Amino acid sequence: MTAELTWGMPVILYLFLAGVGAGALTASASVLLRGGGGGFGGSHVEIARYGAFLAPLPVMVGCLALIFELGSFEVGNWFRWINLYMTINLSPMSIGTWLLSFFIMVSMAYAYTFVPNAPFLGEWQRPLRVMLAWVSVPLGIATAIYTGILLGAMPARPFWNSPILALLFMLSSISTGVAVILLFRALLHRTSTPEAEQAAKESDYLLTATDVMLIGFELMVIFLFLMYAQLTIGNVKEAMSVILPGGDLAPLFWLGVVLIGLLIPALIELYYVIPELLYHRGFASPRYVDIVVSVAVLIGGFLLRYVVVIAGQVTGPVGI
Amino acid sequence: MTDPNNSSSIDRRAFLKGTAAVAAAGVGVAAGAESTRAAVTALKPHYGMLIDLRRCIGCHACSVACKAEFDVPLGVNRSWVEYIEKGDYPNVRRSFLPRLCNHCSKPQCVSVCPTNATWKRKEDGIVVIDPDICIGCKYCIQACPYDARFLNPKTGAADKCDFCLHRVTKGLEPSCVQTCIGRARIFGDLHDPESEISRMIANNPVTVLRPEMGTQPNVFYIAADHSDPHTSHAHGEYIRIETHRRQAERR
Amino acid sequence: MLNRRNFLLLGAAVAATGGTVGAGALTEAKEARIKGGKDFSPRTGKERRAVPSACWQCVSRCSIIGYVEDGRLAKIEGQPNSIRTEGLVCAKAQAGINQVYDPDRILYPMQRAGKRGEGKWKRITWDEALDEVAGRLKKLRDDGHPEKFMFHYGRMKASSSKLIKSVFLGTYGTGTVGNHTSICEGGKWTAQELTWGKHYDNWDFDNTKYVLNFGSNCLEAHTNHTSVAHRLVRALADRRVKMVTFDVRLSNTATRSTEWVPIRPGTDLAVVLAMCNVVMSEDLHRGAGEAFLEFCKATSEREATTDEKVAALKAHFAQYTPEWAEGVSGVGAATIRRIAREFATTRPACLISYRGAVAHYYGAETERAIQTLAAITGNVDNPGGRCKAVGAKWKYPKGPKDKPKAKKLKILDGFKGEVVLPTHHVSNQIFRMIKDGSAGRPEVYMWYCYQPVYSNGDCKENEAVLKDEKLLPFTVAVSPFYDESSSLADMILPDATYLERWDWEDMVSPNQVPEYYLRQPLIKPLGEVRDFGDVCIDLAERMGMPLGIESKEAFVRESCEKTPGVKEAGGFEYMKANGVWHDPEAKPKYFSYAKKVKAEDLAKDGVVFDEATGVYWNWHKSKAKSEEEALAKGYAHSKKAYKGYVGQMIGAAVYKCFPPDAVNKSGYFEIYSTIMEEKGFAPLPSYKPIPEHEAMKEDELILTTYKVNVQVHSRTQNCKWLSEIYHDNPAWINPETAAARDIEDGDAIIVRSAVGKLETHARVTPAIAPGVVAISFHCGHWEYGRYASGKKAVNGSGEVGDDGQWWTNFGAHPNWIIPNSPDPISGQQRWMDTVVQVSKALVV
Ligand SMILES: Nc1nc2c(c(=O)[nH]1)N[C@H]1C(S)=C(S)[C@@H](COP(=O)(O)OP(=O)(O)OC[C@H]3O[C@@H](n4cnc5c(=O)[nH]c(N)nc54)[C@H](O)[C@@H]3O)O[C@H]1N2
Ligand SMILES: Nc1nc2c(c(=O)[nH]1)N[C@H]1C(S)=C(S)[C@@H](COP(=O)(O)OP(=O)(O)OC[C@H]3O[C@@H](n4cnc5c(=O)[nH]c(N)nc54)[C@H](O)[C@@H]3O)O[C@H]1N2
Ligand code: SF4
Ligand code: SF4
Ligand code: SF4
Ligand code: SF4
Ligand code: SF4
Ligand SMILES: [Mo]
Repeated sequence: MTAELTWGMPVILYLFLAGVGAGALTASASVLLRGGGGGFGGSHVEIARYGAFLAPLPVMVGCLALIFELGSFEVGNWFRWINLYMTINLSPMSIGTWLLSFFIMVSMAYAYTFVPNAPFLGEWQRPLRVMLAWVSVPLGIATAIYTGILLGAMPARPFWNSPILALLFMLSSISTGVAVILLFRALLHRTSTPEAEQAAKESDYLLTATDVMLIGFELMVIFLFLMYAQLTIGNVKEAMSVILPGGDLAPLFWLGVVLIGLLIPALIELYYVIPELLYHRGFASPRYVDIVVSVAVLIGGFLLRYVVVIAGQVTGPVGI
Repeated sequence: MTDPNNSSSIDRRAFLKGTAAVAAAGVGVAAGAESTRAAVTALKPHYGMLIDLRRCIGCHACSVACKAEFDVPLGVNRSWVEYIEKGDYPNVRRSFLPRLCNHCSKPQCVSVCPTNATWKRKEDGIVVIDPDICIGCKYCIQACPYDARFLNPKTGAADKCDFCLHRVTKGLEPSCVQTCIGRARIFGDLHDPESEISRMIANNPVTVLRPEMGTQPNVFYIAADHSDPHTSHAHGEYIRIETHRRQAERR
Repeated sequence: MLNRRNFLLLGAAVAATGGTVGAGALTEAKEARIKGGKDFSPRTGKERRAVPSACWQCVSRCSIIGYVEDGRLAKIEGQPNSIRTEGLVCAKAQAGINQVYDPDRILYPMQRAGKRGEGKWKRITWDEALDEVAGRLKKLRDDGHPEKFMFHYGRMKASSSKLIKSVFLGTYGTGTVGNHTSICEGGKWTAQELTWGKHYDNWDFDNTKYVLNFGSNCLEAHTNHTSVAHRLVRALADRRVKMVTFDVRLSNTATRSTEWVPIRPGTDLAVVLAMCNVVMSEDLHRGAGEAFLEFCKATSEREATTDEKVAALKAHFAQYTPEWAEGVSGVGAATIRRIAREFATTRPACLISYRGAVAHYYGAETERAIQTLAAITGNVDNPGGRCKAVGAKWKYPKGPKDKPKAKKLKILDGFKGEVVLPTHHVSNQIFRMIKDGSAGRPEVYMWYCYQPVYSNGDCKENEAVLKDEKLLPFTVAVSPFYDESSSLADMILPDATYLERWDWEDMVSPNQVPEYYLRQPLIKPLGEVRDFGDVCIDLAERMGMPLGIESKEAFVRESCEKTPGVKEAGGFEYMKANGVWHDPEAKPKYFSYAKKVKAEDLAKDGVVFDEATGVYWNWHKSKAKSEEEALAKGYAHSKKAYKGYVGQMIGAAVYKCFPPDAVNKSGYFEIYSTIMEEKGFAPLPSYKPIPEHEAMKEDELILTTYKVNVQVHSRTQNCKWLSEIYHDNPAWINPETAAARDIEDGDAIIVRSAVGKLETHARVTPAIAPGVVAISFHCGHWEYGRYASGKKAVNGSGEVGDDGQWWTNFGAHPNWIIPNSPDPISGQQRWMDTVVQVSKALVV
């Protein structure tokens, strides 16, 4: 089945980047809260910092990319998108617009609270950080879910029209969010004092373990996604066939999303996590492994958005 | 160039109120008119179209009339005619399926629009788009189960059949109806039981497209061929569906 | 300026008030909608200026209304007051705007700058252009060789024909005037001239109960398309009229028919003869048929009784049994019997036929058989039957009184003995005759509304002749467009399109009541283009032979003031305002033949009686020198005697009957044709197989061509809205036939004929009979503009095109491989006879 694409790369990027940002914020905030928001040992405040700094940018870039997809922009009405702010209604895109705007503001503020003794904050810096963290967790998750709902809201697009998609996108968002933190830590982290080293190792473990868990969930959800489709008849079943063996997008989905994006990183991570997990042998994953794993996860996350966005548009309702 | 219309939604809200008023006034007067019929006119018109495929010869006069009426750019269509060729020699037939916006009673295109640039007019049920408000996000294009919408490359806004609003509000027939060689297209008020379209719908078996989408279309067909490649291929029967537009495959 | 938003508001207001107005007469809620005649701008809501005129995209020439928005033609619609179209127009008419604003259109006179056909042009002024042309024409005329000016037209009708042909060319004195009828449907006309005299048959669908169709695609094409098609739909849908269509492929007409009967190409004659056999052998002629036979000639005896006629017909058709026809046509004998019975016993029934039946070897004979089948079932010129055409009869200024006797080159009617009755010439052989040269060659060759290279068979041959300066020293194309022929001309005179010019029109009325209608400019002509009618007047001036007509508009105006009925209605001004006129009192015209001739008409000077034929005729109107000569030679053998026809003696009475129009036939409806007999053919319709088909090897196929509903000939392919819908013409081929050559849908294939090969791709479909390959006309341009060929005209108008053009394939033109070959009877080009081999193309 051939169909002209209505939404292209900008939307794919947007969905991916918004997910990464949302994921990073969620991870950062939850880690911070888990560690009691303190800077003391085992509080993983370093992860929280990375997450906080990494969260706003991708979302802003994603939204920017979206503007290039607008027909009005293409014909030179540069600022027509402002109409998005002239109203709020039940359109997922309208809700999303406000949600993401809010996200950007909160995540920026949150990031600011990590700036070493940031101006104007004084002794408010930590309490504010914690307060914002409390807001950030639900906000991050909501944003992550929203990317799925945007697509899921249309019966006309059977491939997208499933609640599981939102769940899948949320998990993928958080895992890519974690991955991006892992990646930047691996790239920028410099060894200092031994106790700092220890804390880092623990954080590293925490991240990797979380990631394994998330990937596990993701695989389950994908399984559900496919099963559910297989067991129905008509539109959804037909639509799903493009990613099932023989479908045009099957290679990209199975090799790209599932193998590179999920299985390979999961296996590598397990290889390093198991010893600590079972025998407390102490966790030690080399820097390059962190890099390979996180990059693989990010690629997978991107390809997931790519496959889904295309698949939804080249398939449609059966019958007329 | 900056966008001159980014305050327009406010004007338009005012305008929507305005029309509501006008329409109400209209109704008032109508109700005032004696004769039992007045009751019916009190109902605002709700426009629909009926395409009687026993009369359609697939001539495309409708498609081209529509292109001309609105100078619709190449590559996109408000109106098109699909050919369905089906069967095995010598028992093969070709049937025709003219397509346009269904002006649904539950228009999914409208429910996904983030800017309220598209809406179903209270005064006559026509689903319209205001190109001065539309940002061209194409959400509605995705959401329409009938592929009836497109992005107009000239305006950068979503576009589609508007039932020739500029004609029907002046008492004319839509352009495609006026020229229909088979006189297969009937346009009229579904709320008026006396209108030709209402009578035809009452006296003939009619169908709509993709009813399972829950959109409640207001374009009805008599004797439509609903066959679909998936099902026909399943039965190993020859079928060829042509849309005669850039988007060659029906979707 | 009203912007869209407050327009929506404005619209709403009207809607609301509209609602209240409706309160009064609610039953008419729908009926109350205006059926046309008005249009508004979707952008501004302003009303567009409505100008009545006439379409010309195809020869049907339907009435239209053009809507003009600030000087630009914005929309075309049907004319609600037309009794022909009843307000409708087809897709091609709707796209007429594309003709005027064609970005590749020629707006200035052009002269070739490089070698002929090289594509180098220089813009010249009208003075330069016309001085040159007039100079050459005047010289020929002064040297006593006006015939060396050949004028070749395609579609030239009504006032254009009268002004250009009768007045201008008549005054100039050349008879070397070619047309295109032999590549059109000339064979049909010859057959009608032999049987009922004047050509053109109208199909009375409004009153018929049954339609039997041989090779007409009237729901997509036909020379009176919109007027006829919408009536046919009405008959089929409202009155459940049964229709049976014989066609080699499932045309849209066939698919809309109650029954499609696939038939082996070129064998309709056999089927029709077999139906005549069924009718006669089963005495189905009884009743209406029998009664009509009184007006028919069915034996050599002009005074034969009806019984003798019946006997003769029974005897003749006995040989053509349905079983025999089945062997020839592949149509089952039982089917033939069934349909023959249905047709003969359902009254009235309408027998229709077009190019599918006649564009063949012996196509004229097929039409003669078809006329016969209609006659013996009493379905001729009757309500619901096959009627003699009725159209407007305009009076017009005749120009200078004393016109010279036209001289002509004998190149119009094909090679000696090639065609016996070329009553509409043999245009498909003209280039061959010119190449041959034995009958002389024109020194100035000018064509108008015609595409010699593209529209005839064997494009290669045509191109060679038109390019050769030794064969044609000076060539002039009169056309708005840069097509495959004008691109080879020495000079191009840019004509006004039909939307920019004046005409009165007269196309046939489907309801047997003549309609008078007008074509007027909807906008002022673009660039420097000029209606060729005005150009002729100008040329005549420059040659010092003034026509006494100051302009085409004046010609049309005077015609309106001269023509009875139109004059009383208000003449030119009325026609300009209303576009159409018909006599509200007029009754539909049927049974015209049964009218008795008044005694005084027989007593007129020069009227003589011809014993042999029973015809009263006026010898003065013939070429006979004296009454003696006339009587000696007799009606049948006096040159142009038919022009003097007055009436036919039948029994004791003299009837108007079926007046001849092209040949000296009697007034009878001639089933039995003495003329055919004298030409050495069977006098009664008889079968003759197509030689090439007899000699076919079994791996060979027959190529047929056809027209589609959204394209006209070679002329509409640069209409973007039409070519967007139809720009590619894959070859239709039956799955069985394709499988035998392991061709799959979409495969590149090669189609070879005796004159060449072409590459295209296959459309494997059960919608065509096995053994046939069908390639539509229209596509495969290599010039004509961006939408037609992907090639911009070197000298185009510069109107902005639509950058949204998305198609890059332009199809394949079948005429490269169809030879120029005439039907031996009429000269009809045999479009649908070509034997070909089809094979899968080796993709490299
Ligand atoms: N849309 C459109 N309309 C037109 C024109 C146009 O170019 N385009 N041209 C106008 C002109 S000038 C003319 S002359 C008319 C022509 O009008 P038509 O003659 O009705 O149309 P054609 O397509 O030329 O041929 C009619 C049919 O003959 C079929 N056919 C081919 N071979 C055979 C055969 O052996 N037997 C039988 N029974 N059928 C056969 C073809 O499949 C085709 O469907 O149309 C006029 N109207
Ligand atoms: N294979 C195949 N060949 C066919 C046919 C077929 O069915 N199959 N059909 C045949 C039939 S029925 C016919 S009638 C002929 C028709 O063939 P033609 O007589 O050549 O008619 P067109 O192709 O319509 O137009 C010829 C040219 O006239 C020019 N023209 C267009 N508008 C105007 C105008 O307003 N003024 C002037 N001066 N010129 C204009 C354009 O350049 C156009 O290319 O083709 C025949 N050829
Ligand atoms: S104009 Fe009428 S008859 Fe022609 S295709 Fe459209 S609906 Fe069918
Ligand atoms: S057909 Fe599509 S565009 Fe038209 S109203 Fe229904 S959903 Fe909206
Ligand atoms: S494209 Fe325009 S009309 Fe459609 S949803 Fe977006 S803003 Fe609304
Ligand atoms: S109603 Fe108007 S806009 Fe809609 S398809 Fe017909 S012509 Fe086009
Ligand atoms: S049938 Fe021919 S003349 Fe009539 S509207 Fe169509 S193109 Fe024009
Ligand atoms: Mo023709």
